[in-house]
Amino acid sequence: MEILRAENLSKTYGKGETRVEALKNASFSIEKGEFISIVGPSGSGKSTLLNLIGALDNPTSGKVFLNGRYIFDIKEEELAVFRRRNIGFVFQAYNLIPELNVEENIVLPLLLDYKKPDKEYIDELLNTLGLTERRHHLPNQLSGGQQQRVAIGRALAAKPAVILADEPTGNLDSRNSRDVIDLMKLSVDKYRQTLLMITHNENYAAYGDRVFRVEDGIVAELGGGVR
Amino acid sequence: MKSYLMLVHSYLKAHSKKTRLAVISVAMSVALVTGMFSMVDVFLRFEKLQVIYTYGNYHLAVKDASDEEASIIRNRIDVRNAGRWKDLGIGQINGADCRLGALDEVFAGNMNIEVLQGNFPREKNEVMLEKWAAERLFQGAETGNLVRIAFEDNTEKKFIVSGIYNDLGKMKAEGVPGVMMSASGTEGITDVRQNLFFVEFKSKVRINRAVAEIKGELDIADDRIGLNTHLLSVIGQSEHKAAVGLYTIGAVLFTLVLIAGVVMIYNTFNISVMERVRQFGLLRCVGASKAQIKRLVRKEGLAIALRAIPPGIALGMLMALVCSAILKFYNNTIFGEIPLFSISIAGILLGIAIGFLTVFMASLVPAKKAAGVSPVNAVSGSNEMKISKTVKKGFLSKLMRLEIAMGMNSAFMKKKTLFLMACSIALSIIMFLGFNVFIDFMHTSLKTTKPNTPDISLVSEKGMGEEIFERLSGLDGVKRIYGRKLAYVNASFDVSRLRETYKKSFGEIKTESNGLFVPPEKSWLISYDENQFRWAKPDLLEGELSAARMNEENGVIAVAQNLRNNITTETVGFKLGDKVYIDTPTGKKELTVMGILRQVPFNSQELTLTAFVVTEKVFSDTMGETGFKVIDIQLKNRKDERTVGILKSMAGDGINLLDVRQKNSEINQLFLTMAVFVYGFVAVIAIISILNIINTMNTSVVSKTRYLGVMRAIGMSGRQLNSMVLTEAATYSVIGSAAGAIIGSLLQKILIMNYLSSFNIKWRFPLFQIAIILVLVSTVTVFSVISPLKRIREKGITEIVNSL
Repeated sequence: MEILRAENLSKTYGKGETRVEALKNASFSIEKGEFISIVGPSGSGKSTLLNLIGALDNPTSGKVFLNGRYIFDIKEEELAVFRRRNIGFVFQAYNLIPELNVEENIVLPLLLDYKKPDKEYIDELLNTLGLTERRHHLPNQLSGGQQQRVAIGRALAAKPAVILADEPTGNLDSRNSRDVIDLMKLSVDKYRQTLLMITHNENYAAYGDRVFRVEDGIVAELGGGVR
Repeated sequence: MKSYLMLVHSYLKAHSKKTRLAVISVAMSVALVTGMFSMVDVFLRFEKLQVIYTYGNYHLAVKDASDEEASIIRNRIDVRNAGRWKDLGIGQINGADCRLGALDEVFAGNMNIEVLQGNFPREKNEVMLEKWAAERLFQGAETGNLVRIAFEDNTEKKFIVSGIYNDLGKMKAEGVPGVMMSASGTEGITDVRQNLFFVEFKSKVRINRAVAEIKGELDIADDRIGLNTHLLSVIGQSEHKAAVGLYTIGAVLFTLVLIAGVVMIYNTFNISVMERVRQFGLLRCVGASKAQIKRLVRKEGLAIALRAIPPGIALGMLMALVCSAILKFYNNTIFGEIPLFSISIAGILLGIAIGFLTVFMASLVPAKKAAGVSPVNAVSGSNEMKISKTVKKGFLSKLMRLEIAMGMNSAFMKKKTLFLMACSIALSIIMFLGFNVFIDFMHTSLKTTKPNTPDISLVSEKGMGEEIFERLSGLDGVKRIYGRKLAYVNASFDVSRLRETYKKSFGEIKTESNGLFVPPEKSWLISYDENQFRWAKPDLLEGELSAARMNEENGVIAVAQNLRNNITTETVGFKLGDKVYIDTPTGKKELTVMGILRQVPFNSQELTLTAFVVTEKVFSDTMGETGFKVIDIQLKNRKDERTVGILKSMAGDGINLLDVRQKNSEINQLFLTMAVFVYGFVAVIAIISILNIINTMNTSVVSKTRYLGVMRAIGMSGRQLNSMVLTEAATYSVIGSAAGAIIGSLLQKILIMNYLSSFNIKWRFPLFQIAIILVLVSTVTVFSVISPLKRIREKGITEIVNSL
């Protein structure tokens, strides 16, 4: 089942001399439950791609369909709702809400939707992420690895259509990075989630079912050729 | 970049929005301090001239000073000017009443006596006349004319008019002109009502000490010493209880202004530096020492202060300028000597001091915090905020909608910000309520003209008939005329209604067989027309003022306050429905009390038991047909001398014309001088407070830009975002307003009860003021949050989340 499709996606920043073509005519399709790694040098357009898929930014041209829905004509107010139900983000800098404890941070997307969190699911999630002991702690009482695990939990809480992770291990040491990647892989398998992850580390890229390489704004599938 | 400190300028430039908010905040506080203190400074200068104009330019008056005493005092080194004033009581000039007096020529200027024509009287047989009197009473007496003056002891002498002097409002309103004799002319006169030796000290003399010295050296008793308390109050030298009370209030309130200035600046600095702890951490990473970070933060404070203080000072000076401009525009004769751009050095220095000091203090704490950031935390991007170490449980969202819970949560989690924000709002409200005390003071201690104040009054002992009334109504320049019939009558009623103190002052009050007491004094019966009843409405304590009902049922309105020997007392405590019996030529007439008024706007010349107001019909029914004793006239244009001329021609033949216009405008002037500044203070506080709230709310929203971006990325909708941020802002406002209203009301109560009780001011819960405050604060809060929020929402999420 196709969950995500991009058609001729392009993004250009600036004008005249400062004009940068961050993304050029990217087209691909992703099936539900797939784990996609995105690699590429700095400034190649990886983050732009992810932002466009996550509807955080508008493309210069091209289309993205998420769960069959064209996402760029959704109005701001509706888009927020769409985002919290269909897209989970994991940022490099965690971006947890500092005043909320671990559990509150995780269930936040559900609460924003005025839904009652499924207690069993959340407990299970906390358990899987190894945060059961820390559920009442505030972000600043956690290590970087733990914080990133909370962020993963938050991305998984609403069981979105896709999870977008932008260098989730960028701020972590190798042991914590490995944990985080393992957990992401585990979650994708366990909850049949679709994951797009940007990474610099070729080893972690190998976890993916498929690997996209972005260079100078051109997206290519490693071992698969341009699609 | 020559030095690492140059970073400050690059930073301030790069974050122009945040910089602007910080600069505005400091500028506002500086403007508040400079403005308030400059205004006080300028106010005292204006008020001094006003007081000199109204009460005379003297500090000390010695009663019945001998020539020897006078000469010793006059020759003291600390005395600038001195002169003798003798009040010779009421005399008659060419048959008309006048007030006789003599003043030393050297002191005439001090007492605002200005010779308009001719000379000040110097010879024994010379006098000087008040201008209006010379014109009206003597058909244009001129210098050189002969006049006959009869003294109180019935001796009569002839005098030459040596000069004409300016009109004095009070004398003009009473219709009794002043006649000024020469000092030598009074020598033979023994019947002197009052003999005062006025003394003006040099500026900067400690007057109370000088007066004590004079008393000691010349052995003058306390009851011979009079001080011009109004003038002493204005120059800050009064030891009078009321003045000291006002000084105390002033000191408390202006301390409050200083504190408010400090808190406002500290608040902005706290918000803006704390959010940048990470940036400082990064600097630590690249090798900045703790001391360097501190220096950096301090330098930044300095840069902001340097930009903010000049506009702040300018704004503060502008406030004082506006007040001076209004007063100078209104009356340039009194205030001519004050330049329009009067600069208050004290105000400016204080503004600068507060600006620099607070910025320095305000940057100390954040600088320490910034220096303490561990480089590791800074890089990892965590720990941007220190919050309690305790584990946090529970979530308010079970009780209310999530965004509201989150808004309150983030307000309550940052205790220090909450405290400072609430303090800043509360202080504004406390200041506002505190300064309102001055408005109460002004309204009770100074009278101003009311809708019922006449411009001209015609007074006649024998009464004026309808035909005069008709003629007056026919005049073009007349806006309104209203007459009063007056009579002193024997009135009796239930003896239990008489107050004990009143009964005691008469020993025993006899009661007749029919149960009514024998009135020890007459009562004053006054008739009102429709207009006068309407104007009396605000003074109605009980019952109603219906002319129709009073005519039908023989109603009467009792008056609660009775002025006896210049003291306001209550002699009778009437209840609605009480019967009053008035002696008339045809027997006793029964009237029913239908309403109770606090007071009437004029006083009886005789002592009375009490006063009653009735309609003209009831008056005629009771007393028979009589004319009006008083006809009050309001002119369409106060300066319409043609109509006044016609009115003057109607006077004479037992009708006396009183021109109250000058006195009215002097009273209004006195009120205005104070009102401009008192309302000025309140307005400045209100404006600065509003700007301060807008600015801090703005700053707090702008500082959360990234946080809000993350919330949006997670899926918070625009509406939710709005209500979350609004809830946080509202939390600050509500706590600040509540604290401000409570503390402010208490402050008002304490100030009024302790320091203003001598002015008969009672503290009432300032419900109306608080209502205004709540409306203002909530409106301002909403508006100050909405616009920065809108700007943030218009930006792309990626732009915000990645911008760090």
